[in-house]
Amino acid sequence: MEFIGEHTFIGHLGNAFTSVAFAAAFLAAYSFYKSSCNETLKRIWLPVARGSFYMHGTAIIGVITCMFVMIYNHYFEYQYVWQHSSLELPTHYMISCFWEGQEGSFLLWIFWNIILGVLLIKSAKSWESSVLTIVSIIQVFLVSMILGIYVFGLKIGSSPFDLIRNLEENIGLPWTEMANYLQVVPQFLDGRGLNPLLQNYWMVIHPPVLFLGFSLTMIPFTYVIAALWKKNYTKWVKEALPWTYAAIMVLGTGILMGGAWAYEALSFGGFWAWDPVENSSLVPWIILVAAAHLMLVYKNKKVALPTTMAMTLLAFILIIYSTYLTRSGILGDTSVHAFAGGLASQLLVYLLTFTFTTIVLFVVRYKNLPKDHKDDKVSSREFWLFIASMVLFISAFQITWFTSLPVINKIFGTQMAPPLDAIALYNSWQTPLALLIVILMAVTQYLSYTKTNFKKFFKQISFSLLLSAVLSLFIAYTVNMWHILYFSLLWATVFAALSNFEYWRKILKGTWEHSGASVAHIGFALVIMGALLSNANKNIISSNKGFIAKDFPSNENVLLEKGDTTLMGNYYVHYKSDTLLGINKTYEVEYFSLKEEGGFNYEFTLNPFIQLNEIMGNVAEPATKHFALYDVYTHLTYADTDVHDESNPYHHESLINIKQGDSVIYNQHFLYLDSLMVNANTDLQSENALDVMLIAKLRMQNMQGEFSATQSIYAVKNNAAQSFPGFIDDKGLKYKFVFDQVNPEAGSIQIKAYEHIDNEKPFIVMKAIIFPYINVLWIGMILMAIGTFIAMIQLFKNKKTLES
Amino acid sequence: MKKTEIVLIVLVALIIGVIMSLTFNASTYITFADSEKQMGKEFTVIGSLNKEKDIRFEPKLNLLTFFAVDSLNNERKIYYHDSKPQDFERSEKITMTGFATDSGFVARTILMKCPSKYNEQQHINQDTLTSLTY
Repeated sequence: MEFIGEHTFIGHLGNAFTSVAFAAAFLAAYSFYKSSCNETLKRIWLPVARGSFYMHGTAIIGVITCMFVMIYNHYFEYQYVWQHSSLELPTHYMISCFWEGQEGSFLLWIFWNIILGVLLIKSAKSWESSVLTIVSIIQVFLVSMILGIYVFGLKIGSSPFDLIRNLEENIGLPWTEMANYLQVVPQFLDGRGLNPLLQNYWMVIHPPVLFLGFSLTMIPFTYVIAALWKKNYTKWVKEALPWTYAAIMVLGTGILMGGAWAYEALSFGGFWAWDPVENSSLVPWIILVAAAHLMLVYKNKKVALPTTMAMTLLAFILIIYSTYLTRSGILGDTSVHAFAGGLASQLLVYLLTFTFTTIVLFVVRYKNLPKDHKDDKVSSREFWLFIASMVLFISAFQITWFTSLPVINKIFGTQMAPPLDAIALYNSWQTPLALLIVILMAVTQYLSYTKTNFKKFFKQISFSLLLSAVLSLFIAYTVNMWHILYFSLLWATVFAALSNFEYWRKILKGTWEHSGASVAHIGFALVIMGALLSNANKNIISSNKGFIAKDFPSNENVLLEKGDTTLMGNYYVHYKSDTLLGINKTYEVEYFSLKEEGGFNYEFTLNPFIQLNEIMGNVAEPATKHFALYDVYTHLTYADTDVHDESNPYHHESLINIKQGDSVIYNQHFLYLDSLMVNANTDLQSENALDVMLIAKLRMQNMQGEFSATQSIYAVKNNAAQSFPGFIDDKGLKYKFVFDQVNPEAGSIQIKAYEHIDNEKPFIVMKAIIFPYINVLWIGMILMAIGTFIAMIQLFKNKKTLES
Repeated sequence: MKKTEIVLIVLVALIIGVIMSLTFNASTYITFADSEKQMGKEFTVIGSLNKEKDIRFEPKLNLLTFFAVDSLNNERKIYYHDSKPQDFERSEKITMTGFATDSGFVARTILMKCPSKYNEQQHINQDTLTSLTY
């Protein structure tokens, strides 16, 4: 059968590209493996290997192009396009649709791996064959996730080129037998659209950066595997070091961009919530930082190689584990999830294959690894760097263990539920660990390798120590932070920032090329300081004092009617107006402060808005006013999104049954039916004569006890009934009454009553939070990225000079 | 004893500490009936939304009330003092932490399980089937 309006060619092309990419990755893996064996084989196999890797890359670019063509041209017959995009989606968000789904985000990852693979082909020299063997194997696994083919009745991967009508669950449904289903089935005229939460500029840049970070983490891993495999145990460190720093920089930036997105666009009010998805990308980063520091120790002192290797391997294993956690559906309730059958088991195979191969390889080679038998001195830098790495490991372990609760339940058959106050529990572990890390970060640079001269050490560090004590006391006084743990952490961050600055200025003589570590450390100290100041002192100014139970505030929201002003914190907040622009209903909320001499000072206006989305539900997006020292965050927790028709301002129909002389309560007002006059016409010959006319005389009482009257007429002419409404627009009451029908048995009449939209003022329910000093966090984040970048450049340069 | 060994012992102790910390702090999934044995104490209950009954959000009171059915098919009225989450009506499973009272379950947090892609598709198919009469 010929289906009308389908574009099947592009799908076939896409599938062909996918198959080629898969086969080429296989071939690349095999031929890189062959060429890694010896020089003779290398001469034969290396060109083949490189050729197949390039072919693999070209095919993946083909796949990506096909997908863009499908999304751009709205080919809704494809399930991926239908699921993730829609006709009215602006072009820049079409990029986001590309990676909203499983398949697209795997492609993004595959794409970055190819770019890095090509860079390694160009730069890895003697490591090329062995490292790229592993890269190619990873590509085989990743491409298998988007294959979408059946092997012995088992579905391998999920293809972005599946037609909706060919999906397993749709086979046999009547509409799949209709040639014109795309024209007649209303659901297929437009796509489901992009999740409104993702329609945000951060979501355009955050995923590519994060996935580049994932990809970069692969490189140190492949070097360690190659080192173990080829029994070349030590030389990998200087090769992998710059890549490790690149991974730290990019992954760290990606994670914090996710935090920025959560802060700007999500409603939970904050940038970090210990959410499993956030945690699972943070953990590999922490481990990677630990690994990088151990690598530095090894580079300088040739100690702790097995730990260094294990930590480096662990970082990438945790990346795969994080992929498994977030994509297999195990974090949700596993029983009804979409991917439970297909990708979950495939992801598990990927995870277990890499975990077991890595463990086996490491264990087999362990006895041959060069080990150091002398004990490090407590005063040595290497000892404390090692301790710092272990603290980072514990921090990562705690986060992983808590995030893995559903996995633990599954393995051990337990029924544990997440802790009731998980965030507090995370903080109670992570705050002391952060304190340790930050202090170690402050002092370790001043320690010397092998043995430290303590007199010199104290002389160098005393200035920062003293100044930090004074400064932190001053800050604590300003922000009123005297909780012992918080104050210690505050002091430690000030100390770390100062001591690293001093180290760079005095000991490294302020040279730019050596500033990497100092800048990154200052950045990290500021991130922690900013997180501490903005979170511990965050002020929900919209909250009222009511409590439902202990520690259970009844309401953190404030209700504001249009035109009203209310006091929140130090601000008088005024809900001025709302406007509908496209799919966004924007609310104008003005903030005023009180003048000393009386009257108000206009401060600023915030425009939180609600994105109207019929299919996925409306989404409210907060608005934040950024000041140098604090942010005012405003979020609508409820707003009336009805669009009123100005030509018919009466709404909220109510039915009222009322007897003559009686009264009812309508809308908190008394409504009287004073009289019911019947005017039957006897002159049936007349053209304009009415058969019967009923006049209901109504009276309504306002809150002040004043009355306002109207009448509604019910007329029957030639057996057709007609009603003439009566209006009340007086004494603060605005209503419309329509005489609807007569109930002869009950002896009453029925009136339809409508309320004018002016009677009911639109209102919003909003939450407002002040985050103090949150800019410290963002500045820290930028410094951390810059510092890591400088360190990376320096390491790449060192590597080059060593090679030449 | 080597310093590395001391570090290792501390490390293992901390790892055990982390493991214990989760075990002791994890709450338990229970039913409404069990939560009512200790009124006022907080628990986690997994239920599903009764879509037949009234889901009422009163913005002026900042109160969402709905009915949820737990695994033993017991139904309770839930009071949630916050705004209605996006797409609440379509949720399938709701994880609620909170405590039981005489008039119903007071939820401090609710976590919805979003309908998955698969179920969404099924949903469409049913719509499609009913909308097409031939």
